[in-house]
Amino acid sequence: MTPDPLPRQLTDLTLLLADMATAAAVAMQHATTALLEGRERLAHQVITGDAEIDLLRARVEEVATDALLFHAPVAGDLRAAVAAIRAAGDLERMGDLALHVAEHTQRARPVPATVCADFAEMGRLAVAMARKAAEVARTRNVLLAVELAGDDDAMDGLHRRMFGVLMDPAWGEGVPAAVDLTLLARYYERYADHAVLVAREVVYAVTGQTPDVLPL
Amino acid sequence: MRDAYQDQLDELAASLAGMCDEVAVALDKATRALLESDLHLAEEVITEDIRVDELRDRAEEQAFALLALQAPVATDLRIVVSAIHGAGDIERMGDLALHVAQAARRRHPQPVLPAEVAPYFAEMGRVGCALARKAGEVIRSRDLAKAAELESDDDAMDDLHQHMFSVLMDRNWSHGVEPAVDITLLARFYERYADHAVAVARRIVYVVTGRMPGPLTV
Repeated sequence: MTPDPLPRQLTDLTLLLADMATAAAVAMQHATTALLEGRERLAHQVITGDAEIDLLRARVEEVATDALLFHAPVAGDLRAAVAAIRAAGDLERMGDLALHVAEHTQRARPVPATVCADFAEMGRLAVAMARKAAEVARTRNVLLAVELAGDDDAMDGLHRRMFGVLMDPAWGEGVPAAVDLTLLARYYERYADHAVLVAREVVYAVTGQTPDVLPL
Repeated sequence: MRDAYQDQLDELAASLAGMCDEVAVALDKATRALLESDLHLAEEVITEDIRVDELRDRAEEQAFALLALQAPVATDLRIVVSAIHGAGDIERMGDLALHVAQAARRRHPQPVLPAEVAPYFAEMGRVGCALARKAGEVIRSRDLAKAAELESDDDAMDDLHQHMFSVLMDRNWSHGVEPAVDITLLARFYERYADHAVAVARRIVYVVTGRMPGPLTV
Protein backbone atom coordinates (compact mmCIF):
# COMPACT_ATOMS: atom_id res chain seq x y z
CA MET A 1 0.00 0.00 0.00
CA THR A 2 1.28 3.46 -0.88
CA PRO A 3 1.56 5.70 2.13
CA ASP A 4 -0.57 8.83 2.19
CA PRO A 5 1.17 12.05 1.20
CA LEU A 6 2.64 13.98 4.13
CA PRO A 7 0.12 16.89 4.16
CA ARG A 8 -2.69 14.35 4.36
CA GLN A 9 -1.00 12.56 7.27
CA LEU A 10 -0.45 15.82 9.13
CA THR A 11 -4.11 16.77 8.64
CA ASP A 12 -5.14 13.34 9.91
CA LEU A 13 -2.98 13.86 13.01
CA THR A 14 -4.61 17.21 13.67
CA LEU A 15 -8.08 15.69 13.44
CA LEU A 16 -7.18 12.66 15.54
CA LEU A 17 -5.78 14.86 18.31
CA ALA A 18 -8.90 17.05 18.27
CA ASP A 19 -11.06 13.90 18.47
CA MET A 20 -9.00 12.61 21.39
CA ALA A 21 -9.33 15.91 23.25
CA THR A 22 -13.08 15.96 22.66
CA ALA A 23 -13.36 12.35 23.86
CA ALA A 24 -11.34 13.21 26.98
CA ALA A 25 -13.64 16.21 27.60
CA VAL A 26 -16.77 14.08 27.30
CA ALA A 27 -15.25 11.42 29.56
CA MET A 28 -14.50 13.97 32.29
CA GLN A 29 -17.92 15.57 31.93
CA HIS A 30 -19.63 12.20 32.39
CA ALA A 31 -17.26 11.15 35.16
CA THR A 32 -18.00 14.34 37.11
CA THR A 33 -21.75 13.95 36.68
CA ALA A 34 -21.50 10.31 37.73
CA LEU A 35 -19.43 11.27 40.76
CA LEU A 36 -21.71 14.04 41.99
CA GLU A 37 -25.00 12.34 41.21
CA GLY A 38 -23.92 8.81 42.11
CA ARG A 39 -24.76 7.52 38.64
CA GLU A 40 -23.05 4.16 38.43
CA ARG A 41 -24.10 3.30 34.88
CA LEU A 42 -22.66 6.53 33.59
CA ALA A 43 -19.44 5.81 35.52
CA HIS A 44 -19.31 2.37 33.96
CA GLN A 45 -19.73 3.95 30.53
CA VAL A 46 -16.69 6.19 31.15
CA ILE A 47 -14.62 3.21 32.30
CA THR A 48 -15.42 1.05 29.27
CA GLY A 49 -15.23 4.04 26.90
CA ASP A 50 -11.60 4.69 27.79
CA ALA A 51 -10.48 1.94 25.42
CA GLU A 52 -11.62 4.15 22.55
CA ILE A 53 -9.24 6.92 23.59
CA ASP A 54 -6.45 4.35 23.83
CA LEU A 55 -7.20 3.24 20.28
CA LEU A 56 -7.07 6.81 19.02
CA ARG A 57 -3.70 7.18 20.68
CA ALA A 58 -2.37 4.07 18.97
CA ARG A 59 -3.68 5.47 15.68
CA VAL A 60 -1.85 8.78 16.24
CA GLU A 61 1.41 6.94 16.88
CA GLU A 62 0.89 4.84 13.79
CA VAL A 63 0.20 7.79 11.49
CA ALA A 64 3.02 9.88 12.97
CA THR A 65 5.50 7.00 12.73
CA ASP A 66 4.47 6.40 9.12
CA ALA A 67 5.00 10.08 8.40
CA LEU A 68 8.51 9.86 9.84
CA LEU A 69 9.24 6.59 8.06
CA PHE A 70 7.99 7.36 4.55
CA HIS A 71 8.52 11.10 4.27
CA ALA A 72 11.43 11.88 6.62
CA PRO A 73 9.92 15.31 7.30
CA VAL A 74 12.06 18.21 8.47
CA ALA A 75 11.50 21.52 10.30
CA GLY A 76 7.85 22.33 11.04
CA ASP A 77 6.53 19.05 9.64
CA LEU A 78 8.95 17.05 11.77
CA ARG A 79 7.89 19.04 14.83
CA ALA A 80 4.22 18.43 14.01
CA ALA A 81 4.74 14.65 13.83
CA VAL A 82 6.72 14.46 17.07
CA ALA A 83 4.41 16.91 18.87
CA ALA A 84 1.43 14.75 17.87
CA ILE A 85 3.06 11.67 19.40
CA ARG A 86 3.68 13.51 22.67
CA ALA A 87 0.29 15.25 22.79
CA ALA A 88 -1.44 11.91 22.23
CA GLY A 89 0.30 10.61 25.36
CA ASP A 90 -1.06 13.53 27.38
CA LEU A 91 -4.56 13.09 25.98
CA GLU A 92 -4.58 9.39 26.75
CA ARG A 93 -3.57 10.23 30.30
CA MET A 94 -6.49 12.69 30.52
CA GLY A 95 -8.78 9.82 29.59
CA ASP A 96 -7.19 7.70 32.34
CA LEU A 97 -7.73 10.45 34.91
CA ALA A 98 -11.41 10.75 33.92
CA LEU A 99 -11.56 6.98 34.37
CA HIS A 100 -10.09 7.30 37.87
CA VAL A 101 -12.78 9.85 38.76
CA ALA A 102 -15.43 7.45 37.43
CA GLU A 103 -13.95 4.60 39.50
CA HIS A 104 -14.50 6.65 42.65
CA THR A 105 -18.22 6.77 41.88
CA GLN A 106 -18.33 3.01 42.25
CA ARG A 107 -17.10 3.17 45.83
CA ALA A 108 -19.41 3.35 48.77
CA ARG A 109 -18.71 6.94 49.87
CA PRO A 110 -20.50 9.75 48.04
CA VAL A 111 -18.81 13.17 47.86
CA PRO A 112 -19.87 15.12 50.99
CA ALA A 113 -22.49 17.80 50.19
CA THR A 114 -20.20 20.52 51.58
CA VAL A 115 -17.69 20.12 48.74
CA CYS A 116 -19.96 19.14 45.82
CA ALA A 117 -19.93 22.68 44.44
CA ASP A 118 -16.12 22.70 44.47
CA PHE A 119 -15.93 19.47 42.51
CA ALA A 120 -18.61 20.63 40.10
CA GLU A 121 -16.45 23.70 39.45
CA MET A 122 -13.26 21.66 38.99
CA GLY A 123 -15.16 19.42 36.58
CA ARG A 124 -16.53 22.36 34.63
CA LEU A 125 -13.10 23.95 34.30
CA ALA A 126 -11.42 20.65 33.37
CA VAL A 127 -13.95 19.97 30.62
CA ALA A 128 -13.66 23.54 29.30
CA MET A 129 -9.87 23.16 29.17
CA ALA A 130 -10.06 19.89 27.26
CA ARG A 131 -12.49 21.47 24.79
CA LYS A 132 -10.13 24.39 24.37
CA ALA A 133 -7.25 21.97 23.82
CA ALA A 134 -9.35 20.30 21.10
CA GLU A 135 -9.91 23.70 19.49
CA VAL A 136 -6.18 24.46 19.70
CA ALA A 137 -5.32 21.10 18.11
CA ARG A 138 -7.83 21.69 15.31
CA THR A 139 -7.03 25.33 14.54
CA ARG A 140 -3.39 25.51 15.68
CA ASN A 141 -4.36 28.81 17.29
CA VAL A 142 -1.36 29.84 19.37
CA LEU A 143 -3.20 32.64 21.21
CA LEU A 144 -5.88 30.23 22.39
CA ALA A 145 -3.13 27.83 23.48
CA VAL A 146 -1.64 30.51 25.71
CA GLU A 147 -5.06 31.06 27.36
CA LEU A 148 -4.91 27.55 28.75
CA ALA A 149 -2.09 28.53 31.10
CA GLY A 150 -4.44 31.07 32.72
CA ASP A 151 -7.19 28.46 33.03
CA ASP A 152 -4.69 26.20 34.74
CA ASP A 153 -3.95 28.88 37.34
CA ALA A 154 -7.67 28.87 38.13
CA MET A 155 -7.57 25.08 38.54
CA ASP A 156 -4.55 25.34 40.84
CA GLY A 157 -6.52 27.87 42.90
CA LEU A 158 -9.46 25.46 43.23
CA HIS A 159 -7.07 22.66 44.12
CA ARG A 160 -5.41 24.71 46.86
CA ARG A 161 -8.80 25.77 48.16
CA MET A 162 -9.79 22.14 48.49
CA PHE A 163 -6.74 21.46 50.67
CA GLY A 164 -7.70 24.40 52.84
CA VAL A 165 -11.14 22.87 53.32
CA LEU A 166 -9.75 19.43 54.15
CA MET A 167 -7.10 20.75 56.55
CA ASP A 168 -9.54 23.05 58.34
CA PRO A 169 -10.15 22.02 61.97
CA ALA A 170 -13.87 22.33 61.18
CA TRP A 171 -13.65 19.45 58.64
CA GLY A 172 -16.23 17.04 59.95
CA GLU A 173 -16.31 14.26 57.37
CA GLY A 174 -13.47 12.20 58.76
CA VAL A 175 -10.16 10.89 57.40
CA PRO A 176 -11.38 8.35 54.79
CA ALA A 177 -13.44 11.03 53.02
CA ALA A 178 -10.46 13.42 53.15
CA VAL A 179 -8.21 10.76 51.58
CA ASP A 180 -10.74 10.17 48.75
CA LEU A 181 -11.14 13.86 48.06
CA THR A 182 -7.38 14.46 48.11
CA LEU A 183 -6.97 11.98 45.28
CA LEU A 184 -10.01 13.22 43.37
CA ALA A 185 -8.81 16.82 43.50
CA ARG A 186 -5.40 15.64 42.33
CA TYR A 187 -6.96 13.89 39.31
CA TYR A 188 -8.65 17.11 38.19
CA GLU A 189 -5.49 19.12 38.70
CA ARG A 190 -3.36 16.66 36.71
CA TYR A 191 -5.99 16.51 33.96
CA ALA A 192 -5.71 20.29 33.62
CA ASP A 193 -1.90 20.07 33.56
CA HIS A 194 -2.07 17.64 30.65
CA ALA A 195 -4.49 19.91 28.75
CA VAL A 196 -1.88 22.67 29.09
CA LEU A 197 0.80 20.30 27.80
CA VAL A 198 -1.30 19.42 24.75
CA ALA A 199 -1.60 23.10 23.88
CA ARG A 200 2.12 23.49 24.50
CA GLU A 201 2.86 20.78 21.95
CA VAL A 202 0.75 22.60 19.37
CA VAL A 203 2.59 25.86 20.05
CA TYR A 204 5.86 24.02 19.69
CA ALA A 205 4.79 22.42 16.40
CA VAL A 206 3.69 25.77 14.97
CA THR A 207 6.46 28.04 16.25
CA GLY A 208 9.34 25.82 17.34
CA GLN A 209 9.12 27.53 20.74
CA THR A 210 7.48 26.86 24.07
CA PRO A 211 4.66 29.24 25.08
CA ASP A 212 6.67 30.88 27.90
CA VAL A 213 9.27 32.35 25.54
CA LEU A 214 6.71 33.78 23.14
CA PRO A 215 6.10 37.54 23.44
CA LEU A 216 2.38 37.14 24.13
CA MET B 1 31.43 -1.21 11.46
CA ARG B 2 30.78 1.72 13.75
CA ASP B 3 29.75 4.97 12.17
CA ALA B 4 28.67 8.43 13.27
CA TYR B 5 25.03 7.39 13.03
CA GLN B 6 25.44 4.44 15.38
CA ASP B 7 27.39 6.68 17.74
CA GLN B 8 24.49 9.13 17.80
CA LEU B 9 22.06 6.37 18.68
CA ASP B 10 24.37 5.18 21.46
CA GLU B 11 24.72 8.71 22.80
CA LEU B 12 20.94 9.05 22.91
CA ALA B 13 20.66 5.83 24.93
CA ALA B 14 23.46 6.99 27.23
CA SER B 15 21.64 10.31 27.82
CA LEU B 16 18.44 8.54 28.80
CA ALA B 17 20.22 6.05 31.05
CA GLY B 18 22.05 8.96 32.68
CA MET B 19 18.70 10.65 33.31
CA CYS B 20 17.51 7.48 35.06
CA ASP B 21 20.52 7.55 37.39
CA GLU B 22 19.91 11.22 38.07
CA VAL B 23 16.26 10.71 39.09
CA ALA B 24 17.22 7.67 41.20
CA VAL B 25 19.56 9.90 43.19
CA ALA B 26 16.83 12.56 43.42
CA LEU B 27 14.31 10.10 44.87
CA ASP B 28 16.87 8.68 47.27
CA LYS B 29 17.72 12.15 48.60
CA ALA B 30 14.07 13.23 48.68
CA THR B 31 13.15 10.13 50.67
CA ARG B 32 15.93 10.75 53.16
CA ALA B 33 14.85 14.41 53.42
CA LEU B 34 11.33 13.18 54.15
CA LEU B 35 12.34 10.58 56.73
CA GLU B 36 14.96 12.69 58.50
CA SER B 37 13.23 16.11 58.09
CA ASP B 38 16.43 17.27 56.42
CA LEU B 39 15.75 20.71 54.94
CA HIS B 40 19.14 21.01 53.33
CA LEU B 41 18.73 17.76 51.44
CA ALA B 42 15.19 18.70 50.38
CA GLU B 43 16.44 21.97 48.92
CA GLU B 44 19.22 20.17 47.11
CA VAL B 45 16.64 18.01 45.30
CA ILE B 46 14.54 21.06 44.50
CA THR B 47 17.40 23.04 42.96
CA GLU B 48 18.85 20.04 41.14
CA ASP B 49 15.62 19.18 39.30
CA ILE B 50 16.58 21.72 36.64
CA ARG B 51 19.44 19.35 35.73
CA VAL B 52 16.98 16.62 34.81
CA ASP B 53 15.02 19.09 32.70
CA GLU B 54 18.22 20.08 30.90
CA LEU B 55 19.11 16.45 30.28
CA ARG B 56 15.66 15.96 28.82
CA ASP B 57 16.13 18.91 26.49
CA ARG B 58 19.45 17.49 25.38
CA ALA B 59 18.03 14.02 24.77
CA GLU B 60 15.21 15.53 22.71
CA GLU B 61 17.67 17.57 20.66
CA GLN B 62 19.65 14.42 19.97
CA ALA B 63 16.47 12.62 18.94
CA PHE B 64 15.42 15.44 16.62
CA ALA B 65 18.86 15.63 15.05
CA LEU B 66 18.67 11.90 14.33
CA LEU B 67 15.20 12.19 12.81
CA ALA B 68 16.05 15.23 10.70
CA LEU B 69 19.52 14.23 9.50
CA GLN B 70 19.47 10.44 9.42
CA ALA B 71 15.82 9.63 8.70
CA PRO B 72 16.08 6.32 10.57
CA VAL B 73 13.88 3.38 9.60
CA ALA B 74 12.72 0.14 11.23
CA THR B 75 14.24 -0.57 14.65
CA ASP B 76 16.24 2.64 14.66
CA LEU B 77 13.11 4.70 14.18
CA ARG B 78 11.47 2.80 17.04
CA ILE B 79 14.50 3.58 19.19
CA VAL B 80 14.26 7.29 18.55
CA VAL B 81 10.50 7.47 19.09
CA SER B 82 10.85 5.43 22.29
CA ALA B 83 13.60 7.76 23.46
CA ILE B 84 11.28 10.75 23.03
CA HIS B 85 8.66 9.01 25.17
CA GLY B 86 11.26 7.83 27.66
CA ALA B 87 12.69 11.32 28.13
CA GLY B 88 9.20 12.53 29.06
CA ASP B 89 8.64 9.69 31.53
CA ILE B 90 12.00 10.13 33.22
CA GLU B 91 11.59 13.89 33.50
CA ARG B 92 8.26 13.25 35.21
CA MET B 93 10.01 10.91 37.67
CA GLY B 94 12.30 13.83 38.51
CA ASP B 95 9.25 16.04 39.10
CA LEU B 96 7.74 13.46 41.42
CA ALA B 97 10.95 13.23 43.46
CA LEU B 98 10.81 17.03 43.59
CA HIS B 99 7.24 16.87 44.97
CA VAL B 100 8.42 14.55 47.75
CA ALA B 101 11.19 17.02 48.60
CA GLN B 102 8.70 19.91 48.58
CA ALA B 103 6.50 18.06 51.07
CA ALA B 104 9.50 17.60 53.36
CA ARG B 105 10.33 21.30 53.07
CA ARG B 106 6.75 22.48 53.61
CA ARG B 107 6.43 20.77 56.98
CA HIS B 108 9.99 21.40 58.17
CA PRO B 109 10.99 21.23 61.03
CA GLN B 110 7.96 19.04 61.78
CA PRO B 111 8.23 15.48 60.46
CA VAL B 112 5.69 14.79 57.69
CA LEU B 113 5.24 11.15 58.63
CA PRO B 114 4.07 9.59 61.88
CA ALA B 115 6.70 7.11 63.11
CA GLU B 116 4.65 4.01 62.31
CA VAL B 117 4.34 4.79 58.58
CA ALA B 118 7.94 5.94 58.07
CA PRO B 119 9.24 2.40 57.37
CA TYR B 120 6.77 2.01 54.48
CA PHE B 121 8.06 5.17 52.88
CA ALA B 122 11.65 4.04 53.39
CA GLU B 123 10.67 0.91 51.50
CA MET B 124 8.82 2.80 48.76
CA GLY B 125 11.89 4.97 48.33
CA ARG B 126 14.12 1.92 48.10
CA VAL B 127 11.87 0.20 45.55
CA GLY B 128 11.49 3.42 43.53
CA CYS B 129 15.25 4.07 43.33
CA ALA B 130 15.90 0.45 42.37
CA LEU B 131 13.29 0.73 39.60
CA ALA B 132 14.88 3.88 38.19
CA ARG B 133 18.35 2.32 38.23
CA LYS B 134 17.04 -0.84 36.65
CA ALA B 135 15.29 1.18 33.91
CA GLY B 136 18.67 2.80 33.20
CA GLU B 137 20.31 -0.62 32.95
CA VAL B 138 17.57 -1.85 30.60
CA ILE B 139 18.18 1.16 28.35
CA ARG B 140 21.91 0.39 28.28
CA SER B 141 21.68 -3.39 27.89
CA ARG B 142 18.25 -3.96 26.27
CA ASP B 143 18.04 -6.96 28.57
CA LEU B 144 14.48 -8.25 28.28
CA ALA B 145 14.68 -10.39 31.43
CA LYS B 146 15.66 -7.32 33.40
CA ALA B 147 12.82 -5.35 31.77
CA ALA B 148 10.40 -8.03 32.98
CA GLU B 149 11.78 -7.65 36.51
CA LEU B 150 10.51 -4.07 36.57
CA GLU B 151 6.95 -5.34 36.27
CA SER B 152 7.24 -7.43 39.44
CA ASP B 153 9.13 -4.68 41.28
CA ASP B 154 6.21 -2.42 40.41
CA ASP B 155 3.81 -4.93 41.95
CA ALA B 156 5.76 -4.53 45.20
CA MET B 157 5.25 -0.76 44.95
CA ASP B 158 1.53 -1.20 44.30
CA ASP B 159 1.26 -3.43 47.37
CA LEU B 160 2.98 -0.81 49.54
CA HIS B 161 0.69 1.85 48.10
CA GLN B 162 -2.42 -0.22 48.81
CA HIS B 163 -1.20 -0.97 52.29
CA MET B 164 -0.69 2.74 53.01
CA PHE B 165 -4.34 3.31 52.13
CA SER B 166 -5.58 0.60 54.42
CA VAL B 167 -3.55 2.18 57.25
CA LEU B 168 -5.10 5.60 56.56
CA MET B 169 -8.63 4.22 56.24
CA ASP B 170 -8.37 2.19 59.44
CA ARG B 171 -10.54 3.38 62.31
CA ASN B 172 -7.46 3.23 64.55
CA TRP B 173 -5.73 5.99 62.56
CA SER B 174 -5.09 8.57 65.26
CA HIS B 175 -3.07 11.30 63.54
CA GLY B 176 -5.91 13.28 62.04
CA VAL B 177 -6.58 14.64 58.58
CA GLU B 178 -3.49 16.70 57.82
CA PRO B 179 -0.89 13.89 57.84
CA ALA B 180 -3.42 11.63 56.11
CA VAL B 181 -3.70 14.09 53.22
CA ASP B 182 0.10 14.42 53.00
CA ILE B 183 0.56 10.66 53.06
CA THR B 184 -2.13 10.11 50.42
CA LEU B 185 -0.31 12.39 48.00
CA LEU B 186 3.16 11.18 48.89
CA ALA B 187 2.22 7.53 48.39
CA ARG B 188 0.73 8.50 45.05
CA PHE B 189 4.01 10.23 44.03
CA TYR B 190 6.01 7.06 44.72
CA GLU B 191 3.51 4.90 42.91
CA ARG B 192 3.50 7.14 39.83
CA TYR B 193 7.29 7.30 39.88
CA ALA B 194 7.36 3.51 39.65
CA ASP B 195 4.74 3.49 36.87
CA HIS B 196 6.91 5.76 34.74
CA ALA B 197 9.96 3.54 35.27
CA VAL B 198 7.88 0.59 34.06
CA ALA B 199 6.74 2.58 31.02
CA VAL B 200 10.40 3.25 30.12
CA ALA B 201 11.19 -0.46 30.31
CA ARG B 202 8.13 -1.35 28.24
CA ARG B 203 9.28 0.96 25.48
CA ILE B 204 12.61 -0.84 25.40
CA VAL B 205 10.83 -4.18 25.11
CA TYR B 206 8.92 -2.67 22.20
CA VAL B 207 12.16 -1.55 20.57
CA VAL B 208 13.64 -5.03 20.81
CA THR B 209 10.59 -7.17 20.06
CA GLY B 210 8.29 -4.85 18.12
CA ARG B 211 5.59 -5.64 20.66
CA MET B 212 4.39 -3.64 23.61
CA PRO B 213 4.25 -5.83 26.73
CA GLY B 214 1.58 -3.74 28.43
CA PRO B 215 -0.44 -0.54 28.22
CA LEU B 216 1.37 2.36 26.58
CA THR B 217 0.67 4.75 29.39
CA VAL B 218 0.58 3.63 32.94
